[in-house]
Amino acid sequence: MSTDDDIDTPPDDEERHRRLLDETDYDTDLGLELARDAQRVTAGELSEAAFYRRYHDRIVEEFEMDDREIDLPDPDALAAGEGGDGGVGDGSGDAGGFLDRLGDALEGFDPDDGESRRSVMKKGAAAGALALGGLGSTGGAGPGDGTAAGAAGSGEEGDGTRWGMTINLNNCDGCLACMVACDQEHNLSRGANWMYVFAFEDENQGEETNFLPRTCQHCTDSPCTKVCPVGARHTREEDGLVLTDYDICIGCRYCEVSCPYGVNYFQWGEPDVPESEIDDDHQIDDRGRWVGSRPPEGVMGKCTFCVDRQDGQMGEEKIGTTACEEACTMDAIHFGDLNDPESPPNRHLREYRESQENDRSDYPNRKEHTVSTFQLLEERGTDPNVTFVGNAPSQDARQVDGPVTYEEMGLTDNRKEVLDQGAEAAGGETA
Amino acid sequence: MSVDVTGVDRDTLVRPIRTVSTRYLAALSVALGMIGVWLFFYLQQLRHGLIVTNLADWGSGGGVPWGLYIGAFIWWVGIAHGGIILSAAVRLLGMDTYQPVARLAELLTIAALTCAGIFILIHVGRPDRLVTSVIPAWPTRVQWSPLMWDVTVITAYFVLTATYLGLTIRYDLHRLRNRLPNRLDPIYDVLLVGYSETEDAVVERMVWWIAFAIIIMAPLLLHGGVIPWLFALLPSMAGWAGGVQGPSFLSIALTSAVSGIIIVAAAFRYAYGWAELIPEAVFRGLGQWLGFFSLLFLWLQLQQVITGIFAAPTTLQHATEVKIATPLYWVAIGVVALAMLYVFAASLRPSLFSLPLLVALSVGVLAGTLIEKVLFVVEGLMHAHFDLYAGVPGAYTPSAVELSALVGTVGIVVLFFLVVSKVIPVVELHAIEDHGEVEG
Ligand code: SF4
Ligand code: SF4
Repeated sequence: MSTDDDIDTPPDDEERHRRLLDETDYDTDLGLELARDAQRVTAGELSEAAFYRRYHDRIVEEFEMDDREIDLPDPDALAAGEGGDGGVGDGSGDAGGFLDRLGDALEGFDPDDGESRRSVMKKGAAAGALALGGLGSTGGAGPGDGTAAGAAGSGEEGDGTRWGMTINLNNCDGCLACMVACDQEHNLSRGANWMYVFAFEDENQGEETNFLPRTCQHCTDSPCTKVCPVGARHTREEDGLVLTDYDICIGCRYCEVSCPYGVNYFQWGEPDVPESEIDDDHQIDDRGRWVGSRPPEGVMGKCTFCVDRQDGQMGEEKIGTTACEEACTMDAIHFGDLNDPESPPNRHLREYRESQENDRSDYPNRKEHTVSTFQLLEERGTDPNVTFVGNAPSQDARQVDGPVTYEEMGLTDNRKEVLDQGAEAAGGETA
Repeated sequence: MSVDVTGVDRDTLVRPIRTVSTRYLAALSVALGMIGVWLFFYLQQLRHGLIVTNLADWGSGGGVPWGLYIGAFIWWVGIAHGGIILSAAVRLLGMDTYQPVARLAELLTIAALTCAGIFILIHVGRPDRLVTSVIPAWPTRVQWSPLMWDVTVITAYFVLTATYLGLTIRYDLHRLRNRLPNRLDPIYDVLLVGYSETEDAVVERMVWWIAFAIIIMAPLLLHGGVIPWLFALLPSMAGWAGGVQGPSFLSIALTSAVSGIIIVAAAFRYAYGWAELIPEAVFRGLGQWLGFFSLLFLWLQLQQVITGIFAAPTTLQHATEVKIATPLYWVAIGVVALAMLYVFAASLRPSLFSLPLLVALSVGVLAGTLIEKVLFVVEGLMHAHFDLYAGVPGAYTPSAVELSALVGTVGIVVLFFLVVSKVIPVVELHAIEDHGEVEG
């Protein structure tokens, strides 16, 4: 939980806190009052002793802490403790001051009674986090604390790199250049369309044909990595890429059935491009794992966000780019580090929003811009790292033939047909 | 309803071990032939890869990445789990009537688990890595991947069942040793190593506890838990997710297992003239269990269909509508319903009971549950929440290679029983002699 010097709780923050507290068993009003007054303490408008007295009884009541009292803090000890940033989890309680005691209390009171300790922790965690967070005196709080803080939305935007995309559907004209570039760069077998561009019509969005380029969403909460029995499908820690270790994968295809987006392509037969034609730079990443280019037979493949480029193996200048992005002449695909406010996906989103300003002179309540964004199947809880600008296809949307067909571009749309031929020829074919 | 078969002598029990008939040899060659057919096709898969199946990638291409192999895997595991649950129930609740078929159920469990394992082996793209990838990953992946839970639990139950069987067999072998052929002595020596009659009491307690553990864990870890969780926990497919899969899978497992036991027991009864040893009352009882489990099966199917079509979310509704528009689904439901109606009718009017008819219906039920399982996997995959792909749902009909694996695994089960019945008594001594009176 980050320390925040801001004293005023903006009203919408308070709304958020209210929602958060509503989800706990904990008394919402008490929690909000605590949070508000805790901030007044930080601002020097309220003394700690007064704060303590004001809430002591109600806290005892709420948390069932009936067999231990918090001593009123000694004013000297308080003064001594003010400079220190005592962790609330630190149970010493001597000079740490009242806040530490309160922290202890909220974390769960009676060390002899495991059960009530647990329930107090659960109930108190959210409110404790809010109240003490406002005071800026939380060091290492209890286990429940982190969760509450995370849910309150702090600390999400992290350090390090998190590769992702902003794909602007309003710019895409369905030329399929990105698909071709991907196919060539990664030596894909026919129909293994790691990048796939939908042309679709949606009766809810008028007559025109819309386009949606679909990569792997490189989900932060990816079901595919969770279900992989051998850990072959994994999230690379350094930059959030979701990759498949071709040396470990047993080809069970569990990742494929668990992915809500249908982006996985198994190597059913021999790959169209033989191993000998692909050099190691494309295949082995900076950790020495075989995760790049097309998979070998019997192993799962999917979009890698051009891991070879991100590792600098195709030259410094290719870091932070992808083949599809490079091929797109319509400025639809923007790849980069989502943690960097100046990266192409973030900058594009910002600039695009600025260019689509809403008329707020007459209608002050409107939001600043008219740009709508979405993530695919957000409600599945996968937390994708690809954000789309434009309108999400509705349930009634259906795929149609685009202005440029896959065949015209030398691509195969229906992999099943290739596979069926292979099956008939008893594998004499490749795919 | 208790049946007394204690009049049957020990020679009857060892009859299969001491005779070799031409019919036996014929059955043996059929089983070997079935396995041969499968091996012939499987070699193609080994040579060319999984492309020889009709599986494909769901998504832009359409088709299903999991198909008959996974459906058959669940089916065999269901038979195995149901088998061990029933045998455990017999031991735990002292249902003496079914004692003559308890060991058959255990043997069926071992055979069916083997077949389930084979289906995993042939399902994966890199069977050569099953050991090298799975074992190092186990400690870190077991808390995450439902597939790893499955592998773990299935292995555990294989070991448990084999132990259970091994322990109870020692008791019988020791007492029947003088009736068993000398040429198999080396095998018996191994099976009986370190045996003394003082272990009987301990073994009996151990077996009781293992049975107890199996019954307690059945809904949690067997077919009511880890197997359905393979599907029920996924966010991607409308027809899979949800809490009803656990009970539903368990009902299917029990239905299939009773059918399997009926068929195996009837085959032995017919082949070895065991009308006394496995009397008709056993089959009447098993038939009633079949009826009861079929009822559960149908009830849980009804739950899924109703919740899937009445004001359901669009994707679930679509998946359910497709399911109930599939004729094969109704074939599956139909045969199970038919079996249920027949056994209930035969309970009311005992004269309606006919063993051949019950066996035929059991075969039908097994076919029905297999169909249901395959449809569950395949149709589940065809109706994802994300349905923008024109290629989805694609089509899937199992290829000859895939179908041959079914033939092969049935052959393996037949072969297993043929071989095992020549070595150990497939009906335990306790069935014909009370515990107290059995002396050397
Ligand atoms: S889109 Fe699918 S394959 Fe890609 S990370 Fe998400 S769940 Fe995994
Ligand atoms: S196919 Fe490979 S990567 Fe996917 S879940 Fe199975 S082992 Fe993991």
